[in-house]
Amino acid sequence: MFALVDVNNMYVSCERVFRPALNGKPMVVLSNNDGACIARSNEAKDLGVKMAQPWFEVKHLERSAGLIALSANFELYGDMSSRMMVLAARYAPRQEIYSIDECFLDFEGVRGDLAAIGRELRQQVLRWVGLPTSVGFGPTKTLAKLANHVAKTAERKPGTYPQRLAQVCDFGTLRSEELDDVMRRTDVGDIWGIGRKTAPKLHDAGIRTVLDLRRADAATLGRQFSVVMQKTVRELQGTPCLDVDDDPPAQQQIMCSRSFGSPVTELPDLIEVVSGFATRVARRLREQQAACNAVHVFIATSPYRRQDRQHSPTATLPLPRPTADTRALVNAAITALRGIHKAGYRYVKAGVMLVELQSTKQEQTSLELFDEPEAMQPDGRRDLMATLDALNERFGRDAVGIASAAKRSSRSTHASRQERRSPRYTTRLDEVLVARA
Amino acid sequence: MLRERGTVSASTPRSRVAISFGSPAGESGVTRLDLNEILIRNPQAAFLVRIAGSAMREAGIDDGDLALVDRALHAGHGQVVIAVYRDEFLCRRLCRQGEALGLQATDPEVAEVWAGEADTFDIWGVVTHVVKQVSG
Repeated sequence: MFALVDVNNMYVSCERVFRPALNGKPMVVLSNNDGACIARSNEAKDLGVKMAQPWFEVKHLERSAGLIALSANFELYGDMSSRMMVLAARYAPRQEIYSIDECFLDFEGVRGDLAAIGRELRQQVLRWVGLPTSVGFGPTKTLAKLANHVAKTAERKPGTYPQRLAQVCDFGTLRSEELDDVMRRTDVGDIWGIGRKTAPKLHDAGIRTVLDLRRADAATLGRQFSVVMQKTVRELQGTPCLDVDDDPPAQQQIMCSRSFGSPVTELPDLIEVVSGFATRVARRLREQQAACNAVHVFIATSPYRRQDRQHSPTATLPLPRPTADTRALVNAAITALRGIHKAGYRYVKAGVMLVELQSTKQEQTSLELFDEPEAMQPDGRRDLMATLDALNERFGRDAVGIASAAKRSSRSTHASRQERRSPRYTTRLDEVLVARA
Repeated sequence: MLRERGTVSASTPRSRVAISFGSPAGESGVTRLDLNEILIRNPQAAFLVRIAGSAMREAGIDDGDLALVDRALHAGHGQVVIAVYRDEFLCRRLCRQGEALGLQATDPEVAEVWAGEADTFDIWGVVTHVVKQVSG
């Protein structure tokens, strides 16, 4: 069984932990330039504020309905997210962090009452971190995601689904006619992987509810739409087609990726980020006593920022020879990045993945066979890399590294409009919560 | 892991330098005391809160102190807590009299708060330690 755990209205909930006066009030969190609503409280949803709606369109609600708007405080959200993720990970053997506020848990091999485990998880995250979550269980990731939708909607809109499915919903405990009923009440557009464009086409084809979709023929729809659609249907029918992309096992691939607090457009900024990631994966590679044969780099714009033009390219650069040298890997990552970056796009995510790994012992043997001048040097390089790792171990991660990965001071990060940002309660000592005594 | 790498390449002088830099534990496996480990039992539930005011002075908590708060702990009678009362954060001692729960300052001049039908409060976390700046 899979679980999908996600925080209800994540950004709004993070703000409310430290500002209880916001509880019960209509509020939105604005994107970095205070341009669009990127999170809404239930009360704001009830006022009709739409996801990603431009702020100027709803600004009048400040006066007329008491709508409160805050600037995004990604430092705070990131820290609260990591607290939640660490707690959630304790409940299952495998976790896939899917976004800042949701993760899949793979309960394969776990026995017992999963709904009870889910309630315990929910309770712990609520108490320890202060964030309300919804938990959905299903035999496939798509069904877990659907169960989560049911758990969340049953709580927010009583009457839509049976009340006992609110907050924590385990499809595994439903009788088949109960599951059919839940699926009959759900529009296909609410299914994971079915976009705004696809839903109307399904409607035209007479497939309105999730139950209709589950009863459809996967192969036919696959031909009619896409392979993704075929997988979705099969997942709804209970056949897992998607696995938890956990940290891949050693000797296969090593990845480091992250979403940025604010969109990045300039190449130098991306070079810095990607160099940092390459430095990190290089260290992990050496810890595994391995070398890699290729570097894969990706950058992506945000599908949620619908006002932005979308560009999410990837590039894989083969290396002339297997290496674990930070400099070689950083150079390769930068080369790959230069090839895919386009000016004018607002990127929100980047990642570096090392692929085609092999153990270093292998490399040494093969290197002995080749009589290339550079191949005779790796001992010196390995020494430098060992020193680098040792210094970082001693003085903290990223103490010593490649210059292009140097962190910009926090103040120099692109000045964005954040007039309404709340304090960064958990990451800045001069901004911590104040209690009156 | 570091030590392993060290033994592999210990034949070259440069790597020996790296080892002496890199291994705070040395060969003995002893590690330096770390305040995070000593003071924070539940890192995911740990928050820092700045104290403003002197109503808890008799409990050793002064204006400007930094309180270490653990949200994982269940608050019991007599414990110093951070509570939310009328949308405001208060540092008070939690007390229980029979069924009733209340918040008391150590300063007797400061009014107590008792949870009732009209008035209520929530416990946000339990104060476990206080950091004071003594000099510097």
